[in-house]
Amino acid sequence: MKRMTFVQALNDALDLLMAADERVFLLGEDIGHMGGDFGVTRGLFAKYGGERVRDTPLSEAAIIGTSVGAAMVGMRPIPEIMFADFLGTCYDQIVNNAAKMHYMFDGQFKAPIVIRTAAGGGFGGGPHHSQSVEGWFMNVPGLVIVGPSTPYDAKGLLIASVENDNPVLFLEHKALYRVRGDVEEGYYSVPLRKAARLREGTDITIVASMKMTHEALAAAEELAVDGISVEVIDLRTLRPWDQQTVLEAVAKTGRAVVVNEAPKMGGLGADVSATIAEECFRQLKAPVQRVCGLDTPIPFSVPLEKVILPNKDDVKTAVRAALAD
Amino acid sequence: MDAELVLKLYRNMWVVRAFEQGLEREFKKGNVPGMLHTGLGQEAVQAAIANALRHSDAFFPDHRAHGLLVLAGTPGQKIMAELFGKATGVCSGKGGSLHSADPSVGNFGDNAVEGSMMVTALGVALAYKMQKRDDLAAVIIGDGTSGRGEWHESLNLAATWKLPVLYCCVNNGYAISTAVGASHATENLYEFACAYKMQAVQVDGNDVVEAARVTAEAVDWIRQGKGPFFIEYKTWRWQGIFSGEFRPEVEIRYWKEEHEPMKLARDYMLKHGIADEAALAQIKAEVEAEVEQWIAFALESPPPDLAKATANVYVGWEVAPR
Ligand SMILES: Cc1ncc(C[n+]2csc(CCOP(=O)(O)OP(=O)(O)O)c2C)c(N)n1
Ligand SMILES: [Mg+2]
Repeated sequence: MKRMTFVQALNDALDLLMAADERVFLLGEDIGHMGGDFGVTRGLFAKYGGERVRDTPLSEAAIIGTSVGAAMVGMRPIPEIMFADFLGTCYDQIVNNAAKMHYMFDGQFKAPIVIRTAAGGGFGGGPHHSQSVEGWFMNVPGLVIVGPSTPYDAKGLLIASVENDNPVLFLEHKALYRVRGDVEEGYYSVPLRKAARLREGTDITIVASMKMTHEALAAAEELAVDGISVEVIDLRTLRPWDQQTVLEAVAKTGRAVVVNEAPKMGGLGADVSATIAEECFRQLKAPVQRVCGLDTPIPFSVPLEKVILPNKDDVKTAVRAALAD
Repeated sequence: MDAELVLKLYRNMWVVRAFEQGLEREFKKGNVPGMLHTGLGQEAVQAAIANALRHSDAFFPDHRAHGLLVLAGTPGQKIMAELFGKATGVCSGKGGSLHSADPSVGNFGDNAVEGSMMVTALGVALAYKMQKRDDLAAVIIGDGTSGRGEWHESLNLAATWKLPVLYCCVNNGYAISTAVGASHATENLYEFACAYKMQAVQVDGNDVVEAARVTAEAVDWIRQGKGPFFIEYKTWRWQGIFSGEFRPEVEIRYWKEEHEPMKLARDYMLKHGIADEAALAQIKAEVEAEVEQWIAFALESPPPDLAKATANVYVGWEVAPR
């Protein structure tokens, strides 16, 4: 094990992937000698050259379209979209091209691309550099959405995503980039579609992902002082998410809080809580609580942003509400 | 041009014509679901493109290229059956007219979000270059897509990265009803490509001899590793618009009679003594009979197995039925 940041873990994964498989190549804006806005591709241009670490213009649709086309003929592209907020400019390529191709051509083509992108708020990035976009993509059959919460998972899930034959939207929460954690050295993968139980508990189950996992863990820690035993599940793969792990956990505790940074309406949290309600109705001792972003864009001013985005205190309030029932 | 090649092009134009006429007839009878866009009037363009490509190339057909799909080498009945939504179609009926792919002949399928393939083709071309293949990616695209951002992103990058992309811009004068010149800065679309510093020409898309010659030259040029090539084919589609014909009489007469692609080819062959009227009539009759067999095959074919509805959403993962 080695202590490294989320960014270093991702960088390590890319390096290992490129060394292991020459079909793997990277493309995106300023990912070359600069190493990307957040430094995730640092050093790779020097090591693998401009053919495999390819700087592009601000042509997001072409970044994704090029990746899809290359994947159709056997390559393993890893495009980077600098900020997840910009996915609107290549939405069609992801939704109508990458995600549908395998189906509409009845298996004759596949599009194994892994779109890396920096998501999430909390740093004063304003309305166009802060969003949690998984909800934009939840309704897209054929697409996989991954969102790690630790450096260990970031590396293992990125490797698993590139090994997988489906198109993957790989969300990297900006607030986690500098978080440190123990990471296994060398090549390993963490399975897709498998949630992780980060904390065992008996009173209530919190289902979260990415940065919200950390808010949930902090809340659980503080609630433990009051004798409340909280279980925390990290979804890791957001689509298709691991229903089995979540439903088993909720069936056991009988209470659930679903935490999601994105706006509440129509988001991942809606799907998770609806599924819990459908499948665990008889085991539930209280209504499922959702802790989500408010139904607003994300403002620039940090105090305002704090009003919008959920935090550990909101999680604690929701847990107490669920336990009061 | 070599007599045998001209005869082949002529036969292939008839494949496009007869395919579309048969399809249109069946569509009107209610045997073909969905929407119908035909390549009628654009036979020469399709024959020219098919002639220049090989199976190891990739091509992205447009929504009027049914005939081209057959000319590329897929058995006609498998394309026809796909358009009828049948189990025996190239995509088991899941793609239909707008998504009939067959990678075995280099057919990478249409994308019904018009213009989006412009950037997909880039990726195939980039991969072929990285894989050190001398194959190319062709994208067949209507004039109406020239306003798409992806159209311009594609030209810029193909030129910047010197990619083996053949742009076949089928300029039939209109989007659905809006004339090219009314909605673009130029009605000569190859001028856009010139601005992106790539090889670009405009050809008479109804003159199969000229269109085939230029297309073959462009393909040669690309195979030498010199970068992309843009061809604008000036042509005209017979199909008007959903609500009926909207184009002026003189224009219709010019394209459908005086400058009609079959007529031009026929005149060329008679003039150069390549074939006589009887031989040409025989070609037409043979092709039409063959197309009728494809239609019969499509009509008789069973619908897809219903399990296909949830198949191949993900590679390797099942999607639960209701
Ligand atoms: C992105 C997109 N916008 C609009 C449409 C609807 N549409 C289908 S065909 C068409 C006109 C296309 O014109 P052109 O590319 O010139 O092709 P033509 O039909 O003339 O061959 C339009 C607007 C579409 N399919 N995709
Ligand atoms: Mg047109």
